[in-house]
This record gives sequence, C-alpha cells and structure tokens, in this order.
Amino acid sequence: MLMTSGPWVWIAAMLTLAIYSFLYKDNPFYKIAEYIFVGISAGYWAIFLWWNYAYPNLFEPLAKGNYLNIIPIGLGLMMFTQLFRRTAWLVRFPLTFVLGVSLGLQIVAAVEGDMVPQLRGTFSPFSRGVLFGTADFWTSIGYIVLLVGVLSTLIYFFFSKEHKGFLGAGARIGIYFLMIAFGASFGYTVMARISLLFGRLHFLFSDWLHVIK
Amino acid sequence: MGVVERLSRLDRRYIFLAVAIAVTLPIFFPIGLPIEVTAPVKQLYDVIEDLPERAVVLISIDYDPSGAPELQPATLAILRHCFKRNLRVLVLGMWAPGVPLGMKALEEIAENEFHRQYGIDYVNFGYRPGGAIFLINLGRDVHDVCRTDVYGTPVEDLPMMDDVHSASDIALVISMSMGVPGSDQWIWYYHARYRGKLATAQTAIGAPRYYPYLQTGQLIGLIGGMKGAAEYERLVQTRGLATIGMDSQSAAHMLIIGFVILGNFIFWMQKRKR
Repeated sequence: MLMTSGPWVWIAAMLTLAIYSFLYKDNPFYKIAEYIFVGISAGYWAIFLWWNYAYPNLFEPLAKGNYLNIIPIGLGLMMFTQLFRRTAWLVRFPLTFVLGVSLGLQIVAAVEGDMVPQLRGTFSPFSRGVLFGTADFWTSIGYIVLLVGVLSTLIYFFFSKEHKGFLGAGARIGIYFLMIAFGASFGYTVMARISLLFGRLHFLFSDWLHVIK
Repeated sequence: MGVVERLSRLDRRYIFLAVAIAVTLPIFFPIGLPIEVTAPVKQLYDVIEDLPERAVVLISIDYDPSGAPELQPATLAILRHCFKRNLRVLVLGMWAPGVPLGMKALEEIAENEFHRQYGIDYVNFGYRPGGAIFLINLGRDVHDVCRTDVYGTPVEDLPMMDDVHSASDIALVISMSMGVPGSDQWIWYYHARYRGKLATAQTAIGAPRYYPYLQTGQLIGLIGGMKGAAEYERLVQTRGLATIGMDSQSAAHMLIIGFVILGNFIFWMQKRKR
C-alpha cells in the first residue's frame, strides 16, 4: 500500500513529519528539515530573481541594444557603495529614486484605494439619509455601530490630550471595539492554523498512506 | 498537589496531541456538520451567476503551497463555477510558487472535468512580476504586460485574447491572496483606477482585514479561509477538500474553546487561592 507513493511524496511526508517532530522537542530530524528548507529557499530565490527580474528586465534588453538600461544597472550597483566608508554617500542616489517612486505609488494608493472610499463608506449612509428610511432596521443599526466604532477607536489613538471626561469615555468604548477586532482576528488565526494542520494530515493519509480517498 | 495545580502545570505537548486527535478523527469518521453560506460568499456566487456567457473572469493566483490548503479548494470551486457557466477564464499570478498550483487547478477542472480548450476557453499567463506597476499597466493594456503565456505562446496566437485588451474587457477579477502582492494591490492599484468588479479569497488570517472593503463596495465578494471555500463548494454542489476539512475545523475549535474556558477557570481559581 505504502509503496504506491512516489519518491517525492515520500520526501514530502518525511519532511512534514520531521518538522512536526519539533512539537515533541528539538531534534536532529527537525534541524535537517529546517536547513533543507533554508538552503532550498535561498537557492530558489536567487535563481528566481535572476530569471524573473534581472535578466528579462535589465540584461536581455541591454544585449538587444537598449542602452538606457545602463541607468538602472548603475543605480543598482550604487547600492553596494555603502559597503565602503569613502563611497557610502553614493547610496543616497538609488535610495532617493526608490523612495520617490514608492511614495508616489503609495500616496495615490492610500488616498484613492483606502482613505476616501473608507470615509465615504462610513459616513455616506448618514449623509444620504438612508438610516431607518430605505435601509432596514438592522442595517441601520450596523451603520451606527460602524460609525461609533470608527470614532471611538480614533479617540483611543488620540494622545494629544489626556483621556478624561468625554475623551476618556470614548477611548474606553474604543478599547472594546479593538478587543472585539482582536478576538475576531485571533479566531480567524486559529482557523488558519487548523486548516494548515488538516492540509498536512490529509496529505499524509491520502497521498502518502492511501488510507483515505 | 490539587487538580487545579496539576492542570496549570500540564505539559503543553498533551494539548498538541489533543488538537492532532481532534483534527484527525473527523477525517476518518466524518460528522457532516451543516455548512451555512454567508453573505460575502453568496454575493460572489451571484455575481458569477449573473455574468453573460463567454464573459472573461480573471483569477489571480497570489498564494504559494503554504496557502494551498485554504485557497486551492476555493480556486477549484470558482473554476468549476466559471466553466459550468461557460465563462472564459484568464489565470495569472503575482506569486511565482503559485504557478504550478494554478496549472494543476486548470488541468483538474478545465481539462479533465469540463474538457475546455486552451487558448479559446481559458489561458494561463503564469507568474507576472512587478506588483503595483504590473497591475496599473494590466488595466491599460493586457497584451503589453502579458506578451506570452506560461508556455511561451505569444498572446497574438491565443484566440481568447483577441477581444481582451484592457480592464473594460474583464468582467470580474478574483484575487486568491495570502499576502503581498495580493488583494491590497488589486484594490489600490487596479480597482481604484479602473473600477469594475473585484472579489477576493483570503487565507483565514487575512480575511478580517477585507470586510471594510466589502462594506464600501470595493469588493463584491469575500471567501474567508477554508470555511469560505467550503461554503462555495456547497453553492456549486461539490464535496471538495474544504468541505471535508470543516468537521476537523469544528472539532478542533470546540476543543480550543474548551481549553480557553479551562485555562481561564484555572487562572481564576489560582487568583482566588492567592
């Protein structure tokens, strides 16, 4: 029964068991599996970055006569100048470029993709007057809870004034909302971990041992 | 030493063992607990149901094998639904290790189950690097950023792509995501610019973060973890890995809830004693 599994399934099964053996205690099998994972990951990503980024985007076009690619290659090489004290200042040029592009992308994304739609989503039910009018009772309650949650959580993170009186009460409500959010996240995290365990166990029992279909 | 004292010093390995047993037993002895379909999953199902025949659905495989137990069942269920509805499917991914998972899913559903024709009913562009830059350009000109498919075939030789040029030609995007780049990038860089319908399937850890996007309408559907995948399997009337896993999930959750209550009880007893 066991012999029907291919060699790769056996390797995967052995590595799975080796990793899980850590739950009993640290041992050489776990260490071997860990080192194999680290080694393969390092090798994989080195080859991956070369064939997916550096070669097709930089060196191949350069070989075909796109000499403008000398600029990004030069900027990339300048990253290594920080290894030497006398040339370390040169690293500012590529870093400035990376920061500029990242900021440009992130600011637009944060405003267009997050801030404006989320603000609109939180406040528009009130400005459009859908509460208890066109929306049903529980949806309206949901809008109110959402607004209270957003405002009270923001108050909790407002540190410019002591949390007393109105601010204190708001911050206390904010804590409850945060606790509920953390609880939901924790619950989902448990579910994720159990899913992974189930995935591995199912693999062991079906693909390796063939005791289930 | 009293029972409470003894429990408070319980070797954690017994807990690991109990969880392993709780997850294993239902694999052999299924309980068949009911799976209720939640609104975010149903919304995605309804959107796919309402798409016109031959509309293009883009599925982005933004996960690797560590996310497969949660996301691969959802990918299979969605593919099954799309081909059942005679939709065209465009697969790509921003995670390189996800490429074989996408290929495996297409082989299982498109080729073996529905006998669809590659290049006409579905295409696979494989790994697409670039994250934000890729998505911005994808919405503008698909052919420019997907010049060859995963097998090296030029996009011009894929008949399905003749009328798929920009975001307006894609009826629905579903990001199967477990991190960065993934659904965040699809929302921020693709949906914010080109609008259209966007949905996501998330690992359970990531799912809570995406509920606000549902409320704002930026997402039209959300499949959260293995539970969400099981719900979708129920909607498309298949018993896949996610459905099988739900009994194990429920058993483990009950056990963990029991441990949480027990732990708090022991803590309370010890506090009272002091």
